[in-house]
Amino acid sequence: MVVFLTSLFIAGFLSVGGLIPHTVDARQSVIKVSGSSTVLPIVARAAEAFSAHHPDIRVLVNPGGSGVGVKSVGHHLVHIGMVSRRILDDEKIALPKADFRIHVIGRDAVACVISSEIHDAGVTSLAKEDIRKIYLGEVTNWRQVGGPDREIITIDKEAHRGTRHVFMEYFFGTSQVKTLGVDLVTGSNNEQRTKVALSDTAIGMLSYAWLNNDVVGVDIRDGNGILAFTDENVRNGIYPMVRDLSLVTDGMPNDLSRKFIAFLLGPDGQRIVREMGYVPVR
Amino acid sequence: MTPWFLGISFLISSSLAGIILVFLISGSLPIFEKYGWEFIFGEEWYVGETYGALPMIYGTTVVTGIALGIALPLGIGTAVVTSEVVGRRMRYILKSVMEIMAGVPGIVYGLLGMLLVTTWIRDLFGLVDGNCLLTAGLLLGVMILPTVMTLSEDAIHVVPNFYREQAYALGLQTHEVIIYAVLPQAIPGILGAIFLGTTRAMGETVAVMLVIGSLDRIPDPFYNLFAPAQSIASKIGREAAESIGVGLHWNALVALGLILFGMVMTLTWLAERVGWTGRLQ
Repeated sequence: MVVFLTSLFIAGFLSVGGLIPHTVDARQSVIKVSGSSTVLPIVARAAEAFSAHHPDIRVLVNPGGSGVGVKSVGHHLVHIGMVSRRILDDEKIALPKADFRIHVIGRDAVACVISSEIHDAGVTSLAKEDIRKIYLGEVTNWRQVGGPDREIITIDKEAHRGTRHVFMEYFFGTSQVKTLGVDLVTGSNNEQRTKVALSDTAIGMLSYAWLNNDVVGVDIRDGNGILAFTDENVRNGIYPMVRDLSLVTDGMPNDLSRKFIAFLLGPDGQRIVREMGYVPVR
Repeated sequence: MTPWFLGISFLISSSLAGIILVFLISGSLPIFEKYGWEFIFGEEWYVGETYGALPMIYGTTVVTGIALGIALPLGIGTAVVTSEVVGRRMRYILKSVMEIMAGVPGIVYGLLGMLLVTTWIRDLFGLVDGNCLLTAGLLLGVMILPTVMTLSEDAIHVVPNFYREQAYALGLQTHEVIIYAVLPQAIPGILGAIFLGTTRAMGETVAVMLVIGSLDRIPDPFYNLFAPAQSIASKIGREAAESIGVGLHWNALVALGLILFGMVMTLTWLAERVGWTGRLQ
């Protein structure tokens, strides 16, 4: 009874939330995808192109974060999950029946971003230790790291977001870090970028493809050298916090999903990866 | 046919509240078993480690309070003027506008709030950042204003003319007629309007989520309305999809829902007690 009610409620909740319209029906020619908002732009564009080749197949794509992608696939609410980090041990334990298969479709870098005003004021690089201190609340003014006399607005992301995992694992060695210096918490890349852009004194984390003129990636000083945030360094892997962008399925993908994944790995799909600002894998 | 249909409708509607309550209680049992009162009074929320709901309860209360502080005077004031002062044509226009505004979805307010109100508040008060309790409260105040206004206006407008005529016959001025003759008759209806506005404010998710800062922390000092915080609804909105149906994290979110449900039920109960007679018994 309770299980029934719970599933009823969850289904209702999800459909109201617009996250997942219905549970998966294998007979329809629909591919349902959800998860990382970092991977989403690629998959959304690929879905359009794919449907143009296959008018009988519809691809429905919804955001939610990597955690949502993994769980939705594990619970068979969608066919394909989008993830921008590795699958955590906790998630494997929580979903013992799932047989996750990873299909890497592109690569991305996570940038430590700051408001353009601060960058223009001379903060073009930050020491790894400084960024750590900013997130721990030990440094609260840009003056302390060579910038203007301005309070820092430290922006974090929801705990389950893939971008945050990559960022925190690089700076702290673990994603389970208590960031006491944080002022704001945001969800998607889009929300994060908007909040950094609206502020003139913010620091945050953002996927490579989401940078623009208002939101600038800083170089990172790590011990002896500067890890410059350039396209070149992202492509050849010198810049840290480079990660795989993947699609994940439970077991082998079904025919429809396999076609779609093959499309993404083909020349057209990989061109979309590049157009969206990420690094192709082939 | 008709009696059947009515009976079934009655059964379905009345059991829905029960189903929700059963779901909330059964879903939150594990968290209360593990943490007990610490869940309600705990101030830290780290998924996988500890769950404390106090910052969220605090955020919901404060944000709702600010919203009421804005919507009550504005809403009831506008309602009085609309019903008692302006002409029929103007009233029709005002009411139509308010009723349209009452139907605008939260996400629209949320996006406007994130792009405009946060920067206004920041510049107006010279803050470093505008995502804070005050912004969320202001936004909610604007959101519930139409509900409070239009329902209060209905309540005032249906007061029989008899009362007004009697009051004028006694030689009272227009403002005295309104205060001493009309408003006392309309109080139960106005309370209903306030109550509906309050519950909408407490449950609003996405508009609050985008401007409150989403930081699970009670401001320091606690009356600092310029600090980022978190409400119950926005917390659930941010984390529910990720925790889908399993684990203690999910139980904690359901328990948050139960707390919000409890807060709304308490208000309902109070409103009913006050509403029947127009004063507290």
